[in-house]
Amino acid sequence: MLFNTTQFFLFLAVVLALFYGSPRRFRRYILLAASYFFYACWNPKFIALLLTLTAIDYTAALWLEKVAPGPRKKALLILSLSANLGFLGFFKYYNFLASNLALLLGKPTHSFFLDIVLPLGISFHTFQSMSYVVDVYRGQQKAVRSPIDYALFICFFPQLVAGPIVRAHTFFRDLFDWHPPSADDVSNGIFLLVLGLTKKMAFADQFAKVANRYFSDVAGNPGMVTAWSGVFAFGLQIYFDFSGYTDMAIGMAKLLGFHFPVNFRRPYLASSITDFWRRWHISLSTWLRDYLYIPLGGNRHGQWMTYRNLAITMLLGGLWHGASWNFVIWGGYHGALLGVERVFRGDRPIREEWTWLYPAKAILTFGLVLISWVFFRAADLPQSLQILGQMFSRPGGHTLLQPWHVGLALIALALAVVEEKFEWFERIIEAPAWAYASALAAMFLCLEVFGVIDASIPFIYFQF
Amino acid sequence: MHQKGRRRGLALPLACLGLFALDGLLFRTPFYPSILQPDSSAGTFELTLEREQQAQRLNGDNLVVTLGDSRFAYSPRLANELTAQTGYVFRHAGVAGTDVRSWYYMLRDLDPSARRYRAIVFGVTDYDDEDQFFTPDDDIRALHYVIARLRWSDVLEFALSFHSRKLQWEALRGASLKGIVYQNDILTFLSNPKKRIQYARAAHRDYDQWTYGYVETPRSLTGLQIDWKAWKVTFPPGLDQDQQDTINRDLMREPAPQTGRVAAYYRAWYGRILDRYRGSRTKIVFVRLARAPIPRPDGLVRKKSSTIRDFASSLPNVLLCDEHAFDSLEHPELFRDALHLNRAGIARFSPMLAEEIGRMLGSAGQ
Repeated sequence: MLFNTTQFFLFLAVVLALFYGSPRRFRRYILLAASYFFYACWNPKFIALLLTLTAIDYTAALWLEKVAPGPRKKALLILSLSANLGFLGFFKYYNFLASNLALLLGKPTHSFFLDIVLPLGISFHTFQSMSYVVDVYRGQQKAVRSPIDYALFICFFPQLVAGPIVRAHTFFRDLFDWHPPSADDVSNGIFLLVLGLTKKMAFADQFAKVANRYFSDVAGNPGMVTAWSGVFAFGLQIYFDFSGYTDMAIGMAKLLGFHFPVNFRRPYLASSITDFWRRWHISLSTWLRDYLYIPLGGNRHGQWMTYRNLAITMLLGGLWHGASWNFVIWGGYHGALLGVERVFRGDRPIREEWTWLYPAKAILTFGLVLISWVFFRAADLPQSLQILGQMFSRPGGHTLLQPWHVGLALIALALAVVEEKFEWFERIIEAPAWAYASALAAMFLCLEVFGVIDASIPFIYFQF
Repeated sequence: MHQKGRRRGLALPLACLGLFALDGLLFRTPFYPSILQPDSSAGTFELTLEREQQAQRLNGDNLVVTLGDSRFAYSPRLANELTAQTGYVFRHAGVAGTDVRSWYYMLRDLDPSARRYRAIVFGVTDYDDEDQFFTPDDDIRALHYVIARLRWSDVLEFALSFHSRKLQWEALRGASLKGIVYQNDILTFLSNPKKRIQYARAAHRDYDQWTYGYVETPRSLTGLQIDWKAWKVTFPPGLDQDQQDTINRDLMREPAPQTGRVAAYYRAWYGRILDRYRGSRTKIVFVRLARAPIPRPDGLVRKKSSTIRDFASSLPNVLLCDEHAFDSLEHPELFRDALHLNRAGIARFSPMLAEEIGRMLGSAGQ
């Protein structure tokens, strides 16, 4: 059940009606049942996996709270993390490791393959679950007593399959001290829901058609201009696709009285790669910072250790996205860029002020990010290299973008700049009803005219 | 807070109203239909309608309009060479790919008073109702042909005229928010607005000229043989893949179960047209066209009903042309594929049609 389908909106309407039509004590049960139903619509078999992981971490956290600090507690934490990483590793990385092992042994790559179906959203909910256990271990979070509450934290349907990765304190704060959403929350929720849908269907899916055309036949679309236009289209597709999904998730959560943090903050306006990672998939980058980079030592042990920690964090961050060398290279490339920036910047904080140099820096950053998307989207390493070869060849080829694609991109850029400088999204929610309604109507019209309605293009991050 | 909540509560319905207002402004006024891609389904339909509206102004009281799909291939130019003899001027408002549902909307706007024509001639390939695997009630192309003609009052009725729930929803959605149906057209327009506007202008100016003198291909199926007993077709040398495909698909098709859906569909849509012309001086004429280069055997399907014959026997202004009037055209050398007459076929059929209709209607002065 994709977010951009009629079935999903019917489901959401039923959930909202049941949620607000029921006595308060039943509401979390309704959300839990709805979430499991939502997950079961994909593949009911994986409900068992979800329940197993939930049971393991629920029990581990209760236990961790009782055990005094020391080796026993650490062993318990390791046990819980191993279980999570074990499931994640088996479902997501087994075939990757098996193919590499086969290569090492000189056997055909499929020699040790297993027919494994990747459970939907496993990367997201295992990270969410692990952060909870670590927080309990660190004493930053109390273990949750009710298995229902914990299960809801893991499988809450708006963010179950593609995030944002919500921290336990954020979720349980809203769950335990639940208030009906305010008028502003409802306005904001509806606005984000429509905005997300517009981003996905009118922008991401239109750019997806161009990107898919290019990446499905790179050899048949030669030339520098062709390559850049295909990669540019994918760059916009992935941003609108993922941030659109996230906007919808946050909007739905708001309608149910939950407040999730922002996951994207206009990343393509970033003035550096460091800045980019503060704006892109924020819930993952902060997770990696808090549960990987800082525990590895962060920047506390000298320059070289900092570079090492950055590299490890980004390589693993890359691998989190998918089991292929392309994702490792994608992460490594970003790690290397972050390292290079750090060499030039030293310990000085990043300056985000808008000066006359800012557009040049933003364009350079965008170009560097586009190059990284080649590894993210290409089928394999040889194709990535072929595309890079095209991108940096002599000028030739033709653009795959129609003038209206460029128009859409320019509109998005203008809106992003206005939002960056004036926070108009927030203002429009506060604005009189007619102004707010006009903004919604404009998005509806955009959906009507540009929305890809009948070809259901899945959200990119659902595969992770 | 409550007041603010109420104001907010108003915003969503207001936004929906705003959307419908914007959609109406863009797509329910003459603006967008005037720049439709001339070769698109909706564009061709609109150009045909406009062309025939203009023809009404230029012609007198002796107009006969024909409606059909691409199989109703005749040349009004050739038919009108006999005007002195028949007394009638023939105009063709048929659009390839359309069926009776689309013809209803065409006629509603072409002939609002239901009195403009001496006769409306429907070209069909069978007077009996034969269900095929693809039934016309689920032909969603109709939405794309008639989209510019649909009014608010049509939305529900039009949507419910489809059989499957999925298509009912698609039709409801598209008829309510026309931008969804026009989407591809809009995107191609935005790719090169200037070129589109120039092309649309040229089409609106010259469409009559482009179509009135149209000459069909001379390609034929000469040498085609079908052994119906052995269910075997022998293609003559030189037939291209498209020609062979149409023969395999349209002639050599297996009979479908006779469910009565086609009959219900015809009753509904021809019925609506005939209701409009009840008591009108306009005659409704059905013509059985040349069916195929080698027609399928009659006993292949046991047809259960004949809506057209039923109408003809019960309504005084409905006439049936002799079923076998054009059987002489059913030869491979007169067809370009399994369904369509070629240049020679059209050249023979057009005067035959004019004479036959003229004979049925009698003198134009009567």
